[in-house]
Amino acid sequence: MEAASVPRQSPRQSGAAMAIRKFLSCYGLILVLLVLPVVYGIHDLSTDGNLIRLGQNFKDGISNGAIWALIALGYTLVYGIIELINFAHGDVFMIGSFVSVSLFSTVGLTLTTGPLGIVLGLVVTMLLAMVVCGSLNVMIERVAYRPLRSAPKLAPLITAVGMSFILQNVGLLWKGGSHQSVTDLVHSQQHVFTFLGITVVRGDLLAVLITVPLVFLLTTFIARSRLGKAMRATAQDPEAARLMGINVDTTISLTFLLGGLLAGAAGLIYAVYQTDAWFFQGFQAGLIAFTAAVMGGIGNLRGAVLGGLIIGFIQQISDNRIGATWTPVVVFAYLVLIMVFRPQGLIGEETREAG
Amino acid sequence: MTIYSSLPLQGASRGNSEAVNNGAKLALKAVGGKVGGYTVTFKNLDDSTASAGKWDPGQVQSNARKAVQDKSTVAYLGEFNSGATANSLPILNEAGIPQVSPSNTAQGLTAKGLGSAPGEPDKYYPTQKRTYARVVPRDAIQGSADVQAMKDDGCKNIYIVNDKEVYGQGLATVVEQTAPKQGMKVVGNDGYDPKASNYRSLASKIAGKGTDCFFGSIIVDNNGSQLFKDVASGVPNAKLYGPDGVAEDTFADPKQGGIPASIASRVKVTVATLSQDKYPPAGQKLLKDYQTEFKKKPETYAIYGYEAMSLILDSMKRAGAKANDRKTVNDQIHQTKDKQSVLGTYSIDQNGDTSLTDYGLYTIKGGALVFDKVIKQAGA
Repeated sequence: MEAASVPRQSPRQSGAAMAIRKFLSCYGLILVLLVLPVVYGIHDLSTDGNLIRLGQNFKDGISNGAIWALIALGYTLVYGIIELINFAHGDVFMIGSFVSVSLFSTVGLTLTTGPLGIVLGLVVTMLLAMVVCGSLNVMIERVAYRPLRSAPKLAPLITAVGMSFILQNVGLLWKGGSHQSVTDLVHSQQHVFTFLGITVVRGDLLAVLITVPLVFLLTTFIARSRLGKAMRATAQDPEAARLMGINVDTTISLTFLLGGLLAGAAGLIYAVYQTDAWFFQGFQAGLIAFTAAVMGGIGNLRGAVLGGLIIGFIQQISDNRIGATWTPVVVFAYLVLIMVFRPQGLIGEETREAG
Repeated sequence: MTIYSSLPLQGASRGNSEAVNNGAKLALKAVGGKVGGYTVTFKNLDDSTASAGKWDPGQVQSNARKAVQDKSTVAYLGEFNSGATANSLPILNEAGIPQVSPSNTAQGLTAKGLGSAPGEPDKYYPTQKRTYARVVPRDAIQGSADVQAMKDDGCKNIYIVNDKEVYGQGLATVVEQTAPKQGMKVVGNDGYDPKASNYRSLASKIAGKGTDCFFGSIIVDNNGSQLFKDVASGVPNAKLYGPDGVAEDTFADPKQGGIPASIASRVKVTVATLSQDKYPPAGQKLLKDYQTEFKKKPETYAIYGYEAMSLILDSMKRAGAKANDRKTVNDQIHQTKDKQSVLGTYSIDQNGDTSLTDYGLYTIKGGALVFDKVIKQAGA
C-alpha cells in the first residue's frame, strides 16, 4: 500500500545508473557479506600464503555463533507466533547459565571428575537448566503477556522490558555484580584435532555437538508433529486456528516452553564454553541474538540460525583483526547494511505482518 | 573532625578495600582516636555499585560531594582506583579537602611525565593548588619495575593489553615506551572491552605476533581473570605479567573467581607492597598487630591503608592548634619530610608523590600471591 504513495522513479535516469541500481539490489547484500572474508582472504594469501587464519576465524565464528543461534531461535519462535519481542529472553538465558553453574557443585562436578562423570553431569545439568528456563519462560508468558494479548502492542512490550529488568536484578542479587569465573570442566580450550591447519578445541565441539541436534529436533518437531502443526497454524492465523479446534493458549505456552528450553541449553554451553557467567550477559547476548534473528528474517527459524552464525563470524573476524573495541560497531554496521539491502532479513519473514 | 574513606567495598577489589579500612583503623587507634584534642571520626564510604561490580563514576562523585557537604571533614582517604580519583579529586580540590590515596599509581594524577595524558594533571586541580598525595610509588616507577621483571625473564616480544582506564592506559604507555630502551620489542598495545564474554580472538591475534611475554595493564575488576585465562590458553608459551591492579586474592585464588592454578605458575605481578621482613620493625609489628586484631592475613594494601591514615594524622598533629583546618593540614601533608613510617622513611613532594620507589615482584602459589623479590629503581 505504502509503495503506491512513493513517486515513481524519474524516467530520465540514465541507463548506467539504472543498471547499477539493479545490480546493487540483486547482489548488494552478497557483496556486503563477502567483503570481510574476501578482503582478509586475499590479505592472508599474500602474507601467509594460505587461508588458515581465515579458517580459524570461521571455525571460531561457528562455535560462538551456535550459542547466539540457540538464543535467537527463542526470539524468532515467539515473534513468529504472537509478534512480540520477548525482551526477557536474554535474561532467561542468563538464568540458565546461573542455574548450570550452581548445579555443577550440587551434582559434584569438579576438575577432577572423570570424563564419564563430566559427560553425565553435564547432561543432567543441561536438562535441569532447560527445564528451569522453559518453565520460567512459560510463567513469564502467563503472568506478563497473556493478560495483555488484546491490549495495544506497546503494553506487552513494556511488560517484557520489565520482566527483563526483574530477571537481571535477580541475577545481580544472586551472584553479585562481578563476573563469576566458572570451573573449566571440559578444558574448553584443549586441542582436540587439527583439520587443514585449523585447530578445533573442546569448547567448539561442545557448542556444535549440542546445538546441531537441538536445532534439528526443534525443526523436526515443528515440521512433523501435531503440536508443531498447531504452532504453525496459530502463527498464520490465531482466529482461524481457534475455529479449527486448536487450543491457542496452550500452543503459545508451548512456544515459550521451547524457546526457554533452548535458552537453558545455551546458558549451559555459554557457561562451560566461556568459563564465565555474569548477570549482565543476558542483556548483551539478547541484543546480539535479537540482531541475529532480525538479520535472518524474524519469525524464520533457519534465518535465526543463519543470522547467529553470521554474527558469530563477524565478531570473531573483527576481534581478531580489526580490534576488540570495534566489534560492536562492526556488528551493528552490518545489521544496518543488511537491513538497508534486505529489510525483510536474509531469508525473509514468515509472519502475518509480512503477509 | 571527620576523615572519610572512599573505596570499592563490592566487586573484585573488596578484599583490599577492607584491608585499607582496617589498616587505617589501626592507625587511628594508635593515636587513641584523637589528634591535638580533636576527636577524629573515621567514616567508610563505598565507591562501587553492585551492578558495576567495581568503582562507579557516579558513586565516586557522590561520595566526594558528601565529604564536601560535611563541615567537619578534614581529610579524605581514597580512592582505591586511579580512574576513580580522577573523578573525586576535582570536587574535593574545589573544597580544599586534602586527599590521600593508599593505592593510586597513575602518573597523570600528580605530574606530567611518561604515561600522563594531555591536560593532566592540571585538569584535576581546578583551584590550581595541590590537595592530593599518595603513599605508593607512581606508575613511571611501577612500569619500569615491570619492564625490569620482563627483561630479567628474557622477554623479547611484549604484547600489552590495557583496560583504557586512567590507570591501565597510563601504565601501558609507560611500559610501551620503557621496554624498547631495555632492548625488548613491544609488538602490540590494545584496549579491550571488559564487557565482552571472551578474549579468544584477541588471544590468537596476540599469538600471531610472536609474543613471548604478555602484560595485562588492567584492574582485575575489568574481567581481568577472564582476559588472563584466555591469553594463557591462546598463547601457550607466553609468560604473563600484571601490575598492582591484579594484585588481589580475587585474581590469585580460583575459589574466589581468580585464574586457575594451571596458569597461575606463568603469572608474575608487581605491587608496591613488600614481604614482611623487608619492612622496618614498625612495619613488621603493624602486620602482626593486624593479624591479631582482625584474625586474618593482611592483604597487600593493609599496610598502605595504615600509612595513608598515619600520614593524615601526622600532618594534623603538625598543624597543631589548626588540626581542624583543611588548608593547614593540606600544607602539612605536602611538607612531609623524612617521615619515619611503617614503610620506611619517606617524604612527600610538592606534587604529592612519595619518595619511596621499591616495588615487589610476586608469583602465585596455591591461590595466593607469594613475594618473590624487590625490584629497586634504577634511577627513576
